[in-house]
Amino acid sequence: MTVAAGDVAPRVKTRRGTPLLLVLGVAALVAGFTLPWIAPSKVAMSLMAQSLFDALLATSVGFLVRQNGRVSFGQAAFFGLGGYVFAILVARSLVTPEVALVLALAVPTLVAFLFGLVVARVTGVAHAMLTLAIGQALYEIAFRWRELAKGDDGMSFDLPARLFGLPTRGLQDPAVMVVLAWSILVVALLGLKLFSQSRTGQIAAAIRDNEERARFIGFSTTLPRALVYAIAALIAAIAGTLQATYNGYIAPQMFHWSLSGAALVMAIVGGAKFIVGPAIGAIVLFYIKDLAGQFAEYWPAIVGTVLVVVTLVMPEGIVGLIKRIGGLGQRR
Amino acid sequence: MTLAIQGIGLTRRFGGFTALDNVDIAIRQGEIRGLIGPNGAGKSTLIDVLSGRARNPGGQVLLNGVDVSRLTPQQRRKRGMARSFQRTNIFPELSVEQQLRIASWAVEDADTDEVMDELDLRALADRPAAEISYGDQRRLDLALALVGRPRVLLLDEPAAGLTMEESLDLARILRDLANRWGVTVLLVEHDMQVVFSICDQITVLHLGRSLSEGSCAEVRANPTVIAAYLGTEA
Repeated sequence: MTVAAGDVAPRVKTRRGTPLLLVLGVAALVAGFTLPWIAPSKVAMSLMAQSLFDALLATSVGFLVRQNGRVSFGQAAFFGLGGYVFAILVARSLVTPEVALVLALAVPTLVAFLFGLVVARVTGVAHAMLTLAIGQALYEIAFRWRELAKGDDGMSFDLPARLFGLPTRGLQDPAVMVVLAWSILVVALLGLKLFSQSRTGQIAAAIRDNEERARFIGFSTTLPRALVYAIAALIAAIAGTLQATYNGYIAPQMFHWSLSGAALVMAIVGGAKFIVGPAIGAIVLFYIKDLAGQFAEYWPAIVGTVLVVVTLVMPEGIVGLIKRIGGLGQRR
Repeated sequence: MTLAIQGIGLTRRFGGFTALDNVDIAIRQGEIRGLIGPNGAGKSTLIDVLSGRARNPGGQVLLNGVDVSRLTPQQRRKRGMARSFQRTNIFPELSVEQQLRIASWAVEDADTDEVMDELDLRALADRPAAEISYGDQRRLDLALALVGRPRVLLLDEPAAGLTMEESLDLARILRDLANRWGVTVLLVEHDMQVVFSICDQITVLHLGRSLSEGSCAEVRANPTVIAAYLGTEA
């Protein structure tokens, strides 16, 4: 049954795609600087920035699905946590703005890592309920604890004049924010792609596929999973901090499960199996929502219809459909 | 006599039911030991206890003379103990080559080419495991356990669901690897043709206890084993 080595040479998978990926990333970053000129108005630019915050949150949710095989109904917890930590620390001048920014990203990441260590082996509905509970617990705290950040009224705050030596005025200018958010999204997607190709990323994918087998080929299955939770939370925290910075305002709705659910829908519509899918889903859904603005009160029905159609016609989302069509084209 | 793996007083209870009752087993380096018995005899449970899958079992497991009873499955794997499962247990969405490569990372970047060649998987290297045939999946399952040349291999019905020809092929591979790599094998198998063709020694379990132990000829001739498991046809 033995064959001579080299009879059929396997396609050895290396990181040879990485330079191409980096070229695409740089091109996307450069393209981002044209966004303010594409948008017809400041309002459109602002909507664009908001869609990019959504894209980051959806990317975070999708990454958990893709890499850990876990569905989260509470990813807004880390979105809100990022925004709240930054806003509260800055508003009360408890630390320097730079430290506030670092903590706004570090605290949600650490919380998610610890959460991941605890729930790494919890699957299915139980996992979804746990994530929901975390998000709603934080929502309730933000909603009821008025001394923290004015409870359900939400809290406005002034940005510090400078951050890392740079003026912050532009962070509330849509033309600046849209370029910044786009750039961060591109870097985040590149980072996630590189992570998924790394050893830890591939081990996490193996654990997602078959945890028991992963243990018996010699891997700890908890740490890689917890790391994925942490990375996903970091992306959500970046989105939350950006939104808080841009609006100069935080509110308990940043933690709400409906935001987590919407991000999950965006990820599914775009294609959670693909790194770029959730971001595309978020942007597409955001603009469908905007176009359907005149039917605002029917918006949930429109989202529901889109979700039903996507689930039935495009089970792997928009990106999955594009890939399938591309694959058919290649075969012909 | 160098013992590769030894179980002393192995016991496993599920509530009031004792699946494994004070079983002793000792397997020499390079030996292929068959583990046979009727359904419910405790064969898979014994492998679960030895490999660390069973929680809080009684008794002691020694790997090359070192007590590994308190080690996790991953720690036992790094010390040279590998196993396969009754049910095919692979990574369905990963390609054959990718999952073997990942398996090699756990054992100091071991060579995956040799297992790919030994188990004739090279032509399937790029295929997702879910898309290959059942027989190929069983060989992949075995290959995952063989990455890094484990010293002890615990196999739970590796020939289950295979055709006669595939089963005998598998038996030849196991015998060959035991000879060339010096790997010690504990083989749970219902296919007596496979068992008698490659095993050096056989342990018979019945109702969670060791019923008999000896060479193939001794076990075949043992009236208690014939009555409990083999029947008169063996």
